[in-house]
Amino acid sequence: MMRRICLAASLLVLPLALLLCVQWPLRDAVQAGSRLANDLGQILFALYMAVAVTAASRARAHLAAQRHVEPAEGGETSRGARWRDAALLACLAPWSLFMLWAFTPQLLASLRQWERFGETLTPGYFLIKLALWLMVLLILLHALAQAWLPPERRP
Amino acid sequence: MTGTGGLWMLLALGLLIVATGLPVWALLIGVASAFAALGLATGAADLRILSALPGRMVGLLEHDLLQAMPLYVFVGVLLQRLAVADALFATLARLFRPLSRHAGASQSLAALGLGALVAPMNGSVASSSALLSRLVAPRLGRLDPARATALVSVAATIGVVVPPSLVLILLGDAMLRAHTEAGNLPGAALGGQRIINTQDVLNAALLPAACVLALWALVAWWQGRRTGITSSSKVPEAPVTRAQAAIALIAVSVILLLLGGVFAGRLFAVEAAAAGGCLLAAAALAGRALRWAQWRAVLADTLALSGALFALLVGATTFSLVFRLFGTDRWLAELVLGSPLAPLPTAALVLAGVALCAWVLDAFEMIFVIIPIVAPPLIARLGDAQQAAVLLLLVLQLSFLIPPMGYAVLMARARSGLGPVPMPRLLRALAPYVLAQLALIAAVFLLPALVHQLDAPAPPPSAAAPASDQDIVRQMEEMARPPEDAASAADGGQ
Repeated sequence: MMRRICLAASLLVLPLALLLCVQWPLRDAVQAGSRLANDLGQILFALYMAVAVTAASRARAHLAAQRHVEPAEGGETSRGARWRDAALLACLAPWSLFMLWAFTPQLLASLRQWERFGETLTPGYFLIKLALWLMVLLILLHALAQAWLPPERRP
Repeated sequence: MTGTGGLWMLLALGLLIVATGLPVWALLIGVASAFAALGLATGAADLRILSALPGRMVGLLEHDLLQAMPLYVFVGVLLQRLAVADALFATLARLFRPLSRHAGASQSLAALGLGALVAPMNGSVASSSALLSRLVAPRLGRLDPARATALVSVAATIGVVVPPSLVLILLGDAMLRAHTEAGNLPGAALGGQRIINTQDVLNAALLPAACVLALWALVAWWQGRRTGITSSSKVPEAPVTRAQAAIALIAVSVILLLLGGVFAGRLFAVEAAAAGGCLLAAAALAGRALRWAQWRAVLADTLALSGALFALLVGATTFSLVFRLFGTDRWLAELVLGSPLAPLPTAALVLAGVALCAWVLDAFEMIFVIIPIVAPPLIARLGDAQQAAVLLLLVLQLSFLIPPMGYAVLMARARSGLGPVPMPRLLRALAPYVLAQLALIAAVFLLPALVHQLDAPAPPPSAAAPASDQDIVRQMEEMARPPEDAASAADGGQ
């Protein structure tokens, strides 16, 4: 499941690059549409990053002091891996729960009014807030899965 | 604990980073959460202020500049898999051959040249180091391993100062906020300098970056020609094919066009990164350079590396909010601004502290965690935000080159496959580069004009003379005066 979500999200970098690239001709040559391209780019960027943080955790791409000497997943002792997963859960779970608790009312209010971008009134600003909520939820679920599920059952 | 609470946070973070080896972003969040809970329990923190955190996170997701992040990563990952960088290196080595009869010199210069060309479109020191380790290190066989390791390390850091790299863009954004904060510090004398933006930082860094490159090229050439092996020696050198020369010519033209567009103000740095990414992807598609499985790997790597960078930003945003809850930023600013030393020695001490932090931290950790804390008082002490920005960049670059912990040296030793190099020999090989860098830092420190060569011309004095404090007070008094007073004043004036 998570693998498919990551694959789908990874494709978003292509339209994101295209949208940001066309802003220049839209602004200088066409003189229209560049703000719309920027707003769409923001939505794509937010959705991309919502998945990217968890994708980095899955790929063990996060920056760490001992990264250059860190053993590969298969070589890590199960005790060390369990300690690491528990420590990560202890770091991330309180933060994730606080974020979900503090942010959910704001998200619901944004969804109820289909919030638009403030400057351009382009529809879809609520998607950026939804992306943040999704990012935090994925971080929490991944940390829980790493700590509680055996490796073969992790998403 | 209030005031110094943030220092305990930094200490705990540093210890945990080194001792546990856990991801830095998670430790940033974990330490911040623990201290926030402690602050709430002791009454030092306010839950309403912590509730501002989601708003700050939304701010990250709608940040225009940050959209460049995945694009730079995309370009960096693509460059590692395409033949563009190989063609550039081979062509540069051929071009530099007439400069010296020693093959080592031309290859050293080509390595530096490749670093300079791809660095602005590459993601980070780590990304540049990975590319150079794969591509350049195996071809530096003519060089002494210590000198080859030094060269790969040095070339990997060029992206820190050559615009418009991701490090520079993010630092520009951090400096904008730091400059705004510096203006609000008590006793700050900023001389009416307007708040700087990313473009100002790019412009300010250009001349120092050119100086760094010129000095390092001199060192690389000098070290390369001391190999004792000439280009006419028996070691075969692969010829440059026409296709390689054509690819190199197109790549250099595109890079120079995009850089020119950014400096001429026609293109935003984000758009230049997007254009570079699109052109590179289009070229790869047109030339069928990658199979579907390779494309999937490129996209997956881009997603993961972008996520790792963004996670650092998320962690640093959380950390800095709690850090500020304790008032440690104000405490540090007061310490720097109230220093009994003169402004320049105080600024030098702050920069030395930054260098020490950068010795153990990556560029992004520095930009997201340390620089927002130290930059406002540094700007206030120097009175010049562009000078402060360039000095911070040069100091970061210097720290990455100091063994054994410097990030670029660490990466080059671990990844280049050049074999183990004794520390004394590595130090000797790095020393000329480091001395050149120190000389440049001293020059920028003592001659701020070096960073103002590309400043926009100042508006005529009549149009933009800043109002003095007395003028502002007088205008406010006149605006606040009741109409009858104003009328009588006018009568009295007649």
